[in-house]
Amino acid sequence: MAEPMAAPVASRQRRGRQVRQAILLIVAGALLAVWVFPLIWAVIVSLKSETEVLAYPPRVFFEPTLANYRDALFGGVSILPSLLTSLIVSGVTTVLTVLLAVPAAYAFARLRLRGKKTLGFYTLATQMVPPVGLVIPYFLILNKVGWLDSYQGMVVVYLTFSLPFAIWLMVSYMEDIPREMEEAAFLDKASRLQTLWHVILPQVRGGIGVTVIFVFLNAWNEFLFAVQLGGNTVRPVTVAMYNFVSVEQTLWAKLSAAALVAMIPMIVIGIAAQRQIVKGLTVGAVKGGGRR
Amino acid sequence: MSFGKGAGGEHSGRVSLRGIRKSFGSFEALRGIDLEIEPVEFFALLGPSGSGKTTTLRVLAGLEIPDEGVMTLDGVDVTFAQPGERDVAMVFQNYALYPHMTLEANIGFPLKMDGVPKSEIPGLVREAAAKVKIDHLLHRRPGQLSGGQQQRCALARAIVRKPRLFLLDEPLSNLDAQLRLETRVELKKLQRSLDVTTVYVTHDQEEAMTVADRMAIFLDGDIAQVGTPAEVFNRPRNMDVAAFIGSPPMNLLQGRLDGRSVTIRDYRFELPRPPDQPPREVVVGIRPAHIALAGEGLPATLYLSENLGESMLLNLDVGDELIKVRLPEVRGFAEEERLHLAFDPDQVHLFDPETRLRID
Repeated sequence: MAEPMAAPVASRQRRGRQVRQAILLIVAGALLAVWVFPLIWAVIVSLKSETEVLAYPPRVFFEPTLANYRDALFGGVSILPSLLTSLIVSGVTTVLTVLLAVPAAYAFARLRLRGKKTLGFYTLATQMVPPVGLVIPYFLILNKVGWLDSYQGMVVVYLTFSLPFAIWLMVSYMEDIPREMEEAAFLDKASRLQTLWHVILPQVRGGIGVTVIFVFLNAWNEFLFAVQLGGNTVRPVTVAMYNFVSVEQTLWAKLSAAALVAMIPMIVIGIAAQRQIVKGLTVGAVKGGGRR
Repeated sequence: MSFGKGAGGEHSGRVSLRGIRKSFGSFEALRGIDLEIEPVEFFALLGPSGSGKTTTLRVLAGLEIPDEGVMTLDGVDVTFAQPGERDVAMVFQNYALYPHMTLEANIGFPLKMDGVPKSEIPGLVREAAAKVKIDHLLHRRPGQLSGGQQQRCALARAIVRKPRLFLLDEPLSNLDAQLRLETRVELKKLQRSLDVTTVYVTHDQEEAMTVADRMAIFLDGDIAQVGTPAEVFNRPRNMDVAAFIGSPPMNLLQGRLDGRSVTIRDYRFELPRPPDQPPREVVVGIRPAHIALAGEGLPATLYLSENLGESMLLNLDVGDELIKVRLPEVRGFAEEERLHLAFDPDQVHLFDPETRLRID
C-alpha cells in the first residue's frame, strides 16, 4: 500500500523543487543582467571607433578595433604610469592596513584594556564622517607637512579610512575564536606572538581575505581624494582616466578601454583573496574545535 | 624564566595552594583555598557549578592570577608565573584543538614551541598518539573526528611532552554515557602509567569517586573537605558535604541525642558507639541505602516510588520532611502506603545544627 502512495508524493516534491530552482535561476539571471549590462556595454564601446560610438542609432554590426586599447595604454595620454601609481598606492595601503589592523584587532578582541569600549566606538565613529567634509582639512594638513601630491600623503589619507574599517571587521573574526584555544597555546609554551601567528592567524585568513579585497578595492576606486590631494606626481588611474573627458569632447571608446584595463588588477586580487576566504570558511567548520 | 624539576626527583609535581582568593567583579569565586597535592596523585576537584573548582584549576594552570595567596610547584613559588613557564598541560572541556592543523601538528605543537629538535617530533607524537590509540588518525584534522577521538587527541597533546602537572577540566562531560564509562577507566590506567600528578575537575561525583586517589569537595568557593573518596563518603565533615555526596545524597533529619539513644519524632534507637556529648538537639544523617522497611519504627507515608531496575527508590513523607530510601529489591507499593522505617544504627551520622559540623 505504501509503494503506490509514496511515488506521486515523491514526484510532486521533485517537481516543486524544480520549479523553485527555475524561479531562482530566472531571478538570479535578471539581477546578473542588470549588473553585467554596463560592463558588456563598455566592452562593446571599447571596440568601436570614436565616430562609431556616437553613431545614432547605434549599430549592432561594426568592425571591431583594438586601437582604443593601444591609445589608452601606449598613446599620448597613456594610463600605464597611472596604473603603476594606483598599484603602489593601493598595494601599500592594503599591506599597511593588514599589518596594523590584525594586531590592533587582536588587542581589541582579547586584551583587557582600559578604555577599550571608548576606543572601539571612536574607531567606528571615524567611519561616520562624510568624506567630502574631510577633503579640505586633509588638504590643509598635507599642505602644512609638505605631503601634497606625494605617495606617503595619499597612503596616510587612505589609511585613515581603511584602518578603522579593517580593525572593526577583523575584531569580529577574532572574537569568534574560542578563548580556550589561545589558552591551550599558552600552556603549550607559545608566546603571545607565536599564538597569534600559529593559532589565530590561520583561523582568520578568511577575514584577512575579505579585508584585503575591501581595502584594495576602495583605494583603487578612490577618486575624490586622489584628484584633490594628488595631482602630477601621484596620479592614480581614476584621475588619469578623467583625461579622456574634456570640455570639447569625451573620448568614450578610449575611456571604456582604460576602465576595462583598470579592472584587471581588481579581478586578480578578487580571485586570489576568494581562495583564502574559502579556505578560511572550511577551517571554521569544526565540530568540537570551538563549541560556541 | 623557567622552573626546573624540583627536589622531588622523578616523582615531582607537588602542588601547594595557600590562602588563594579570587574575585570576578563582586563575585567571590575562591574564598581562601588551601590545598596540598602529593606527587603522582590523581586528585579530583569535585563540586557543583560555580563552586570554584574550575577557577582553582585555572589558577594551577596560570590562566588566572589569584588576588591573594601563594601557589608553589615543587617548592618553587609560581603564583605569578606564566602558563608556559609552569610545565603543566591541560585538557580543556571543549578540547580546544587547533582546527587548522592535522592531529600530528596538534600533538606536536607543544614540542615545537618547546624547541624540541624537528627530527625528534614525529616519533614522540606517534608514541603519545599510540598511548591513546589514535596513531592511525594522525593525518586527519579535528573536524574530521568524532568527539571521543577529539578528546583523545587533546589527551595526547597534553601528555606528549611529559608535563609536571596534568590538568583535566571535565574531560568526559562532552562524551556520551557509554563512552564516558570506558574512557574513565582508560584515563585512570593512563595516569598510572604516566606517573604524573593529575588534577581532575568534575561535577560528577561518581566519576570523582572512581578515578581519584583523593578529592576536594568545593562548595561556594571554599573547600569543604579533602580526603580519599571513602573518607569523604563515609565520614562527611559537615552537613553540606553530606548533602552533596551520594546519589541520592544523605537524608538529614532533626533529632535529639540523649546518652546512647537518638530520637526522631517518636522513633528511638540506640547508637553502638555514642559520642561523648551532653543531651542535645542534633541533625541525624543517614544514607538512603541504610534505611530498611520494618514492622515498627519511624512512621512514613509513601509519596513516590521510583523503579531503578535493580533497586527501588522510595520518596517518603515524614511529617513535613521528605526522606529517601533505597530498597535492594523491587516490589509493588500502594499509593500513599503507610510504612515504618528502621535505621541501621551503625551507619548513622550526627551533625551539630548550629555549626553544621560532624559530631563524633
